[in-house]
Amino acid sequence: MIALAVFAKDLRLHARDARFLATLALFSLSLVLILSVAFGPLFRDPAREASATLWAALFFAGVLGLTRSLDFESEAGGGEALRLTGADPFSVYVGKAAAGFVLMAALCAVLLPCASVFYDVGSLEVLPQAAGVAALALIGYAAWGTLFAALARGAKARELLLSILLFPTLIPLWIGAVKLTRALWADGSIDAVRDWVKIMVVVDLLGIALAAWLYETIQESEG
Amino acid sequence: MMTKLRIGLWTVALLMIGASLWFVVGAPVEAQMGVVQKISYIHIPSATMTLLAFALTFAASIAYLATRAWIWDAVAASACEVGMVFATIVLVSGPLWARSAWNTWWTWEPRLTTFLILWVLYGGYHIVRSSVAESSKRTISSVLGIVLFVNLPIVWKSVEWWRGSLHPRSVTMTGDMRATLTFSMMAWLLFFAVVLWERLRLEVLQNAAETAVREDYAGEAGKAARREGVAR
Repeated sequence: MIALAVFAKDLRLHARDARFLATLALFSLSLVLILSVAFGPLFRDPAREASATLWAALFFAGVLGLTRSLDFESEAGGGEALRLTGADPFSVYVGKAAAGFVLMAALCAVLLPCASVFYDVGSLEVLPQAAGVAALALIGYAAWGTLFAALARGAKARELLLSILLFPTLIPLWIGAVKLTRALWADGSIDAVRDWVKIMVVVDLLGIALAAWLYETIQESEG
Repeated sequence: MMTKLRIGLWTVALLMIGASLWFVVGAPVEAQMGVVQKISYIHIPSATMTLLAFALTFAASIAYLATRAWIWDAVAASACEVGMVFATIVLVSGPLWARSAWNTWWTWEPRLTTFLILWVLYGGYHIVRSSVAESSKRTISSVLGIVLFVNLPIVWKSVEWWRGSLHPRSVTMTGDMRATLTFSMMAWLLFFAVVLWERLRLEVLQNAAETAVREDYAGEAGKAARREGVAR
């Protein structure tokens, strides 16, 4: 219940901030544009370049989403109030990570068709599998991102810090997402790179397990 | 007594490092790679010390969260800093060897890539540590020391987990070459221990100085409060 309440609260706050959402969408679209122009106009391996562009844009734009949800906590003492309720820290973490996941999924829903159109790759038949790959990547991104965002919350230049910690950690997830999306767009199947699904699941579970162990400690340190 | 011990350990450590370099010069030249192979007598011990230092950071971070004794945080931070120095030596010596062995300074093969990621992440540990508020610094650093440890087994096992790795899985040496490597390893281990102790000593001194300043400040504030009370 607590997780659900935090999830709903974060989503409501995101929904109220239309200007931020528009900025985030435009920022990620401009990343797709820049990379498309850099790779194009004649693509050597469109499926590969499109998947690299999609995931690079999503990961970079995601940092803005993660730091924005942290601002909700620091604005008007929201985080302090949440701690004073005595809510289970892991439930708070789950709620925040789930809201981060939904934000990223919405962004992915915008960028996936854009990358597909700009590079002329993909088809509607592979869309369910592409959604599955995106879910695997974004669960890990939200799980690790929420954990690192909490760690960097009190730090100066936290957006930069978050990038320094998050991107290297998520490289296995990033490679997996790029390889699987490329396989789907190029061959219509992930059979040749199926092992990456296992690696991505392990990375996802590891992030959640570490948060279950350590999130309470992080929250206590701010009290 | 402690000063004499410190001087003694430093002397032994530096003599051993000097002797190990002397042995490296005298060690047999490898048939295929030639003199460049001798870089491995520095590269392998440095890589071992890096992993040892980061493993120590992990263990000390757990100990800090379990006991809340500041000394464990000091051990974790010191080990991490010393580990970064050894990791940098690995990242410099590796390409020097690779240029001769692989005809390129750098290639995106699993061991090199994962080690570079490790270096960036532990660099991030120090930046986080120096940027968060003093009150939460120790806890946040300890959590990070635990989370970042996840990368160590990945670096260790990368040559086995990923196909197409160029990096040697293990090094097999015999005779004088093996003896040189063993001696180098011991010398670097002692050097690591001495540098770590020295770094930890600085942390202890810094903690003592900060405590003294706080007590002094509290004393001054108390005196000022008492003076104000008398004046009223």
